[in-house]
Amino acid sequence: MTVGAAPAAIEATARPAPPTRGVRRWRAQAVVARTVVGLLLAGYAMVSLYPFLWMVSAAFKTPQEVIAGGHLIPRDPTLSTLVDTWNRLHFFDYFVNSLQVTVATTLGVVVIYSAASYAFAALHFPGRTALYRLFVALLFVPGVVTLLPIVLLENRLAILGTHLGLVLPFVNGTAPFAVLLLTNAFRAVPTELRDSARVDGAGELRIFTRVYLPLARPALVTIALLTAIPTWNEYLLTRVSLNDPATYTLPIALQALKSSQVVQYNSLMAGALIVVIPVVILFLAAQRYFVNGLTGAIKG
Amino acid sequence: MTTDVPTSPGAVTVSRGRTGRGRGRRRYQPREVAWAYAFVAPAIVLFAVMGVYTLFWGLQLSFVQWNGLTPTWLWVGLRNYTDLLWASPVFSPPVRAAALNTVWVMIAAPLLTVVISFPLALALNRARRFVGLLRSVYFVPYITTGIAVYLAWQYVLEPNGAINTLLGALGLGSLSQPQGWLGNPDTALPTLIVIMVWSAVPVATLLYLTGLQTIDPALTEAAQIDGASWWRVNLSVVWPLLRGITAVIVLLNLRDALQGFQIFLIMTDGGPGDHTNVLGLQTYRLAFQSELAPTLGLASALGWMLFVAAVLVAFVHLRVTRERR
Repeated sequence: MTVGAAPAAIEATARPAPPTRGVRRWRAQAVVARTVVGLLLAGYAMVSLYPFLWMVSAAFKTPQEVIAGGHLIPRDPTLSTLVDTWNRLHFFDYFVNSLQVTVATTLGVVVIYSAASYAFAALHFPGRTALYRLFVALLFVPGVVTLLPIVLLENRLAILGTHLGLVLPFVNGTAPFAVLLLTNAFRAVPTELRDSARVDGAGELRIFTRVYLPLARPALVTIALLTAIPTWNEYLLTRVSLNDPATYTLPIALQALKSSQVVQYNSLMAGALIVVIPVVILFLAAQRYFVNGLTGAIKG
Repeated sequence: MTTDVPTSPGAVTVSRGRTGRGRGRRRYQPREVAWAYAFVAPAIVLFAVMGVYTLFWGLQLSFVQWNGLTPTWLWVGLRNYTDLLWASPVFSPPVRAAALNTVWVMIAAPLLTVVISFPLALALNRARRFVGLLRSVYFVPYITTGIAVYLAWQYVLEPNGAINTLLGALGLGSLSQPQGWLGNPDTALPTLIVIMVWSAVPVATLLYLTGLQTIDPALTEAAQIDGASWWRVNLSVVWPLLRGITAVIVLLNLRDALQGFQIFLIMTDGGPGDHTNVLGLQTYRLAFQSELAPTLGLASALGWMLFVAAVLVAFVHLRVTRERR
């Protein structure tokens, strides 16, 4: 089921069967196929990276060279655009704002939905199934339906335009996914562990924090990642909520930079690079959780 | 009222009605119930305010005329819906144009995603070197999806951008777009669809790859010994086995095509003209870009129609894929 099973599968298809004529012909075709496969793989890797290569390239070019167009490799690469964007265009401040919103949302999701999922998975109470289904059914509500009412409601509550006003709907928006994933993880914990902890006199809170949370750590990391990355990139609600430039997150700052001037692609791409790099680093560091979580959630 | 949720590990989500009948119902323990409600309380409060309340407010809003500022709403019943669908000469034409574009996206994006990601997964499954590296590289478009990447695409699609330069260098200068790929009404929508597919291929490939690794190698080996070519094996043996995964991929992409509009808002804002306007974007415009015109009710109505359409699509899709199996 997991991606880790790859080598076994590859070996099995590659192992030669006793050479009959059909098989020999198949092997000749296999050589051709292998070349095609190699080209396909390398080609698509280029396609995947294509816009990023130009993003990096433009971020290191001088303003004159960017306007002139030209080659992928900058003629005289400069760090000044990146430094300028970070300092003079206040991208450091926006970075901090983005970080605040992302960390608060991720913490909120992990705390609130691990508690709720524990109740769904391990405790018996009236309304359990109905509530659980309600949360999961929310998965089908499109964002565009709730966007406007959320803005109107927050306007009335006087939290529109604040970071809290972003975090609350973001946390709630992750609910179906988080409840689905974490409830499944908690259900996999053997009930014997719970029963024996009870016999030892542990209360619910203690069982939850000392038995269930540690055992479900991979699922918790997965849901934290799958919350943090979309939140970092979120654009729609942020765009219609934030008015004060001091509160801007990175995506909105990029949008503002784009519409504030004749488009200067070197600083725009430098800004884009600042948005993308943390996500890529996070992904590379925790890839395993990512891949397992996504396949688990979607196939589930 | 309550039934037990089946607790087998790994069994996923929706329980099937009253499974608890044979087991005899367990008595609730007051302490446990109290704790349970304490555990779910924060989630429920947030859900009640940000979920249920906003949803029903949105529904209510779809039956009124309002500009967001006046203290009173004007009740108009179903007129917002009829105005959007056919009645209003102002509001219905853009909706119809946007619906047509949305249908194109719904056809092209899932199809292209499958056509690209299935061979890619087959190739990745056969590769012996660099598998980990390639998998990471292929995944980057998915995790970075957002304004940063859309701006980078915009940059390479400019009139003197990298794509036109590349075409010129390959001797295909006649294919280059002097107005830019997003500036020409004929190429703008196809270009956006390609970028949507580019973002969707990572997850689709990953799902296919997971599926491929569950297939018993004996099956494909048997076909090879019978003299079937590599292509034949994949088309006649592997592809049918992965039909379930294809169904999931198509459904995910249909949902995105129907509701997603971020890429359209950022890259073209519906232009040139209305050539890349889609229903999601039209909803957004009615809600946030019509200044003081009383279109908030219309926006809610269109949003709810999209919601219903999404549920219908999911339902029909489920029916069709189930019958085929």
